[in-house]
This record gives sequence, structure tokens and C-alpha cells, in this order.
Amino acid sequence: MISESILQGKRVRLRPVAEPDLPLFVRWLNDHEVRYWLSMADGPGLTLESEREWFDEMRADPATVAWCIETEDGLPIGNLGLHAIDEAHGRATLGIFIGEKAYWGRGYGTEAIRQVLSYGFREMDLRRIALGTDEDNARGIRCYEKCGFVREGLLRAHRLRGGEPVNAVAMAVLREEWERGALGDHDGR
Amino acid sequence: MMAAEAVLEAATVRLRPLARRDVPLLLRWTNDPGVRHWLHRSESPPATLELAQARVEEMRRDPRTLAWCIEAGGRPIGDVRLLEIDTTHGRAELGIAIGEKDSWDRGYGTDAIRRVLRFAFQELGLRRVWLITDADNARGIRCYQKCGFVQEGFLRGHRLRYGRPLDMLAMGVLREEWEAQPSR
Repeated sequence: MISESILQGKRVRLRPVAEPDLPLFVRWLNDHEVRYWLSMADGPGLTLESEREWFDEMRADPATVAWCIETEDGLPIGNLGLHAIDEAHGRATLGIFIGEKAYWGRGYGTEAIRQVLSYGFREMDLRRIALGTDEDNARGIRCYEKCGFVREGLLRAHRLRGGEPVNAVAMAVLREEWERGALGDHDGR
Repeated sequence: MMAAEAVLEAATVRLRPLARRDVPLLLRWTNDPGVRHWLHRSESPPATLELAQARVEEMRRDPRTLAWCIEAGGRPIGDVRLLEIDTTHGRAELGIAIGEKDSWDRGYGTDAIRRVLRFAFQELGLRRVWLITDADNARGIRCYQKCGFVQEGFLRGHRLRYGRPLDMLAMGVLREEWEAQPSR
């Protein structure tokens, strides 16, 4: 579904994904360096048409919300979503990518995730937010750890990347951990 | 459901595609408190015939799901599913429930899973089958281990049971491990 909520942080702003974003998403997701870490890496390339299909499905799916990540200047740089939202069990799965590579390694993803954790735990009343990422995605894992995610497992050969099996790290953060703020300060909390 | 509407014969059980006529049975099984205890559905109100019907229809429509009814001696006793079948990455998730409690602990589940694994690895060409199960489901875990699954993760508070957080295990089996098993 389309989030109605705009999440405003210090440097990032998360706003609902909108149809005019789609050409940008196509450009990002067809960039090999961006795709490399995403499970779509081994799928076919994206087209505006396939992206529109994703958008329509996402919009109709009550178990998914997606935001576009913008910088303080209003420049869209990536996408963040909660998937498999399960109200009965109070959990969801987080997915994120920064499509503008000039903004990699500058803390935008970390701040965006912190915004969404705050929203997920406080507004959506989730208990648990999980994610999966490639075992060798050191930058991603560091960022998730900064946000409070801890490793819960290693799913062996969970996906293919360039035809080669890659292990996935399963990570999650629980609401009480996030509330404890064991991480020091949460931006946007 | 996917194109392959295969009937799978195993030593003690027969797996046939789940059909509309199974809906009343599925409903009785999943509304049995002793069965629900182990299911995500423990947190939902008891299902109705309409809901159960809709679930079966959805499974049949979903190209990423294959569902079989498990029969032992000609009697339906439970169901087994491959979910989220992902042909790009060569993996699927397994789900099973023996709904007839007098058929628990007789090896039917193990037999059914072994047959589904053979189908998944040999017919569907998958590389990996995985599952999640309640961390306190000792009987289930033992059965999965017998079938070759190994523990890969411990998911803290992954679901609720009667409102309380419950840890779950992630387990997986790879094709090459399965191929190396003498008892497959």
C-alpha cells in the first residue's frame, strides 16, 4: 500500500512512492552496481512496464509499504520498504537500496532505516523487524548493526548472484531492544 | 498452482494435489486446538468454511505454491506445501501439517517430506528447500533433521502464540546434501 506518512529526519525525508518515481527506479535498478546486492540481480532487467506492474501490486498489497528516500535538498536517492507486514504477529521485513551511488557510504541509509524503525515500532505497533542480506555485503551489515539489527542466522546458498550461490545473513531488531536505545542515540527518535 | 499437478507415491503415504473437496477437512484440522498450537493461525479466530475455501483457491492460483493432500492407507491425514517457489534462485519453503492427531509420530510426515524433497530437487530442479518452525516443536525439528534439514538460524520472537512472543528456527537443506543422504 502507499504510505500516507512522511517521515522527516535530520538529513533525509521519506515520502510515499509515487508514479512519477518509476523511471528513476528503473534507472537505479538496472545499474549493475546497485542490482548486485539485490535479489533481482539474477532476474531479467527492469522496464518501465515491469516497474509499473510492481507499483500497482505494491499499491494493492496491504502487507507492503514503500517510501522514496530524499536528501535534505529534495533529491530522491533510494527506496525503502516494509514487506510481509504481519499484524497478527507484529512483524515485518525491511528492504532498502540507495540508487544514487554518489550517496553511498554517507549515512543516508542508516538515517532512513532509523526513521522507519521508529515508525514501525511506534506507529504500526510492530514487535519485530527482520531483513536478509548477502553475507559479503559488509557495508550493508555495518549499517544494519548501527541501526540495532543483530545476526540471527546464516541461510546457506539462499540466493544466486551471477549464477553463484550466496549465503544470506538473517538479521532482526526487536522493539524492546530498539526502545532500550542500547545503540546510544537514535536520530529521529 | 503450478503446472505440475503430480501425484507422488511414497512408501507409506501418497501425495495428491490438494483439491476443493479437501476444504472441510482442512477446516477441521486447522481449527483443532492441538493442531493450531503449532501454526501461525493460533493468533487468528477459528477459520470458517469460506475462509478455508478462499485459502485453497489462493494456493491453487498462486504459481509459486504447490500443495498436496497427504493420504495414508487411502485416508487424508494432512497437507504438505512448497511455498514461495523461486525458480530464479532455485529455492522454496516447505510447510507441513498432519491434521489427524492419531497419525502423529508414525513417520508419515517424514515420508511425505522426503518425497516432496525428491520432487523439489529432481523434478523442479531446486537447489535449496528451507522452513521455519517453532523452537519448542521438538517432534517437528526431529523429523526435519531426519529429512536432512539443518538449523541455520534462530529467529527471536518471530511469531506470537496466544499473544506471547515465540522463537522460531530457520532450517534448510541443500540439494547436494540431500543427494548424499543414504536414506533419501
